[in-house]
Amino acid sequence: MSKSSSRKPIEIKISTVVAVSAILHEADLGVLDAAMRDMTGGDADFFDDEFAVLDVGALTVPAAAIDWAGIAALFKSYRLNAVAVRNAAPGMEAAILANGLSLDGSVKPRVEVAAAASEPMQAEIDLAPAAEPVAAPVLAQAAPAVAPAAAPPANRTMIVDTPVRAGQRIYARGADLIVTAAVNNGAEVIADGSIHVYAPLRGRALAGANGDTEARIFTLSMEAELVSIAGMYRTFENGSERAQQPTQIRLLGDRIDMQHIKSAG
Amino acid sequence: MAKIIVVTSGKGGVGKTTSSASFASGLAMRGHKTVVIDFDVGLRNLDLIMGCERRVVYDLINVINKEATLNQALIKDKHCDNLFVLPASQTRDKDALTEEGVERVLNELSAMDFEYIICDSPAGIEHGAVMALTFADEAIIVTNPEVSSVRDSDRILGIIQAKSRRALNGGEPVKEHLLITRYVPKRVEAGEMLSYADVQEILRIPLIGIIPESESVLHASNSGNPAIHIEGSEVSEAYKDVVARFLGEDRPLRYTSYEKPGLLQRIFGGK
Repeated sequence: MSKSSSRKPIEIKISTVVAVSAILHEADLGVLDAAMRDMTGGDADFFDDEFAVLDVGALTVPAAAIDWAGIAALFKSYRLNAVAVRNAAPGMEAAILANGLSLDGSVKPRVEVAAAASEPMQAEIDLAPAAEPVAAPVLAQAAPAVAPAAAPPANRTMIVDTPVRAGQRIYARGADLIVTAAVNNGAEVIADGSIHVYAPLRGRALAGANGDTEARIFTLSMEAELVSIAGMYRTFENGSERAQQPTQIRLLGDRIDMQHIKSAG
Repeated sequence: MAKIIVVTSGKGGVGKTTSSASFASGLAMRGHKTVVIDFDVGLRNLDLIMGCERRVVYDLINVINKEATLNQALIKDKHCDNLFVLPASQTRDKDALTEEGVERVLNELSAMDFEYIICDSPAGIEHGAVMALTFADEAIIVTNPEVSSVRDSDRILGIIQAKSRRALNGGEPVKEHLLITRYVPKRVEAGEMLSYADVQEILRIPLIGIIPESESVLHASNSGNPAIHIEGSEVSEAYKDVVARFLGEDRPLRYTSYEKPGLLQRIFGGK
């Protein structure tokens, strides 16, 4: 675009970056190095310069014992680029920022990385997380005898009536997603809740993107490339045993379970 | 107001330029004043197919950069008096296509009383292809009956829905037409090629025509003669059907089923 007169010095657009999540259980560099070497099996291309988000939520060592720069350098030596830290304890933040890493907002859902819509038309819906705290006091005033916690959150649904085409991505934030047209190969539909596709599902479907293991996926014709629920995923390189069948997909333990949808009666 | 039609596909080599040339010629033959613009800046193929490559002096980029007027750059077709070609530049790259420049050229063409402006898109989904589809009122999606072409057509449909002016302005969406080219009924029957129903099942847009695979297309292209002018050929008839359907006529699909050659035909050779 160098010659275009419409060229701007900088353009800011929402984009999606894929990163691996590295969940640390140890902070000792020697232990981590040994584990990484074991994992990669000496394959220099194992991580292929991917981005990594360090999840330190499971770490029990004191904040001062974590060598952030050392961990980043260790990751770098395995061609993994540490860019941010998630689930950091409040005492860690200054040290994390001082070492050039970013903080992945702890209040945000875990799959924020996959959240942004890639094209303007697929603007994600943001179903105002503020709604719940606002609703609770109102309810409390109206019926003080009733515990506010008993109020169920309203079921939110995003409905898409046009085909989701290759390269398009739709994300229903904090909501269920219903697609009444085909989700084609190369397309991706993501929801924090469940996903319903009342047509062939040929692309990727990621339900429970926020970590909800109760989320499910439903389609009238199962032809998906990949399905995922709460991060557990399954691919279908050789086709699914449920090819082109009406199918319900859910998580049983850590296994993706697929069942025929029977019409009742 | 001129109607702007983009001929696009995502994938290369599926017949965009061949179809642009024949479709534009067909509209002109039906009496509509038409211009066909080559957006494939840097490669320049349309003038070869239209057989006017030796008459190219100025091109689209010259007009965008105001180095030439439209009247200087437009080349009158050798077959039809009311058909004009606006060639691409071979010496620039696609970045020379600015949105403002393309819009101005299209507005000027519209003011010159052209009824139809056909934009022959380059392959791919980058700047050149996006510029070709930005101002489109209608789109002809050229697709071969094979999976990668269908996938790329699906992708470009998504881009039309995201990046065209009509989509961005939130008005009436771009009207989409599916044109299947290089169709071989015999191979469809044998299960080696997707059927047009398969393609439509995936893309889910209205079918405007099916062009059978034919050696005469290559021959026509090499001799700078749009395939629609090969009188009596299946390809020519199929393109005429496409133009008729575009103009609102009802034409049944032809050349979509395979008939086994009879015994005599096999002995004496078919066509």
